[in-house]
Amino acid sequence: MLQAIKPKKRVVFAYLAIPTILFIFAVFVPLITALVNSFYEWKSGPNKTFNGLTNYITLMHDSTFWLSFRHNLFLVAVCIIGQIGIAFILVLMINSRLVKLKGIHRTFGFFPSTIAAVSIGFIWKMVYDYNRGILNWFLGVIGREDLQQVWLSNEKLVMLLVAIPLVWQWIGYYMVIILSAISSIDTEIFEVAELDGANAVQRAIYIVLPLIKNTLLVCVTLCIAGNMKAFDNIYVMTSGGPGKASMVMAMYGYNVSFAENNLGYGSTISVGIFVMSLLVIGGSQWIIGLLTKDKEA
Amino acid sequence: MAKKFEMTKVEKNDVPTKIKKGVLGVFLNAVLLIFSATCIFPLVWMFYSSLKEKRVFNADIIGLPKNPTIINYKNILTNSDYHLGASMKNSLVVTACSVFLIVLFGFIVGYILARVRFKLNRVLYVMFLMGMLIPIHSLLVPIYLVFKNTGLSDKWFTLIIPYVAFGLPTAIFLVEGFVKGVPTALEEAAAIDGSSFSRTLFQIIMPICRPIMTTVAIINVFTCWNEFSFALVLLKNQKLHTVPLAMTQFTGQFGSDYPKIMAAMLLTMSPIVVLYFTCSKQIIKGMVAGAVKG
Repeated sequence: MLQAIKPKKRVVFAYLAIPTILFIFAVFVPLITALVNSFYEWKSGPNKTFNGLTNYITLMHDSTFWLSFRHNLFLVAVCIIGQIGIAFILVLMINSRLVKLKGIHRTFGFFPSTIAAVSIGFIWKMVYDYNRGILNWFLGVIGREDLQQVWLSNEKLVMLLVAIPLVWQWIGYYMVIILSAISSIDTEIFEVAELDGANAVQRAIYIVLPLIKNTLLVCVTLCIAGNMKAFDNIYVMTSGGPGKASMVMAMYGYNVSFAENNLGYGSTISVGIFVMSLLVIGGSQWIIGLLTKDKEA
Repeated sequence: MAKKFEMTKVEKNDVPTKIKKGVLGVFLNAVLLIFSATCIFPLVWMFYSSLKEKRVFNADIIGLPKNPTIINYKNILTNSDYHLGASMKNSLVVTACSVFLIVLFGFIVGYILARVRFKLNRVLYVMFLMGMLIPIHSLLVPIYLVFKNTGLSDKWFTLIIPYVAFGLPTAIFLVEGFVKGVPTALEEAAAIDGSSFSRTLFQIIMPICRPIMTTVAIINVFTCWNEFSFALVLLKNQKLHTVPLAMTQFTGQFGSDYPKIMAAMLLTMSPIVVLYFTCSKQIIKGMVAGAVKG
């Protein structure tokens, strides 16, 4: 590195001290705390008893935890298909020369992603409401009163119903990201392809898709990370209910720790969430790595 | 090539192709307009519904109000038990402080990691990199324990600590990447002229880094203002509640009075909505840059 910039060590450490300490305090100290407490039986009182791996064995056999985990995976799947898939189709449409008001679509489409997940949850709770919800109102208007129901109490549908707001909220976000990736592609490529007789679908699959592959993979990664931590809108809409039908990992950890005051086992669940999220995110990265290598070779 | 080009030109002027194009154009525009409309509809619906009384709303949830009233807003703003005004102030303080510190620390650490050679450089780099990889949401319960044991929960600055810590990694890497692309000539010249490290840092480098610092600020304004789960576990004192928390309380209290809830939501959303629509271009650009590079 350069000679000219060699500040005194003291100065550098003084600058780094606060951010580093803050970061360690808020990230690594809690991690270790979770790990330590996960070996204790501790119901939030002053009494803590070491119980070895008991909590972990319980976690292994805890059907609610694994159900929550599967729900997280369900959200990931729905959102990858819904958010990125729909976003990609919308991008192809918006890129057409026939489309007007592109700026408006970008601004309006992106808007929901700037709103708090809590507010989005409330809005959709109102949409699904039995007496005053837009969904039941709409079914009434088209004469399908027979389909009206208390939507969020339907165990079979509830996961899909809580996934829809998530999809809706983030389509525009991914649309804008993909749009910006496409706008960096040389337009000549499209023109040449069009002249060579490639139709819109062919152009999308054989030209656009490979060129923005890396951006799409970034989107998939964001989507996976985002849905492994799903909490806010589920807390607002269903709190994991009815029963455990829409329970996700973060919600379960919260319930055990704060509603049941079981902080020892809650810590174990936190470690479980940590490990499972890391596995899913790391695993997906590994697969993505394989995919990109394969195509380059 | 030229020949082909003429051919397509001829093709495009065919009458059937023109009709086809017209139909396609209408279809594409219609789909996109519907999409945009659904994105903005909740805002519009909440706005005109908030001008209705509960009774009127329950009778007709979708129609425009015949006798618009601002009673809901009056009700909310005059009753200090709702904590909504206070929660907006809290959110403002927490967001402003957090964003300021994230930008400042992100800039300093990012710059030092990019330019200064010292033993721990790579160690710190990896440590902050891990911050981006660790699923931070799994810290919800343990962070509550740590803050409770250290007496840091339920203070006005409580939330600033995790928000800054969680925002730092991305900020550092955005700045670090940016600084690496800046030629070192300026700093060398400054050092030869006898400028101290700190002076170079703040008076020469900082102005150059303004674009990336703006990006960092934009991303974090929204995450801090909207953050809910950590606020939920770290703040018990109602007086300190941020907007998302106050909203969950409020809806719990007035679960069935939709117009009132809508009015409250619009009020608490208003700063972010106004901010977004006044500088949406910059915000979208910043968020995309942050997402793709981060």
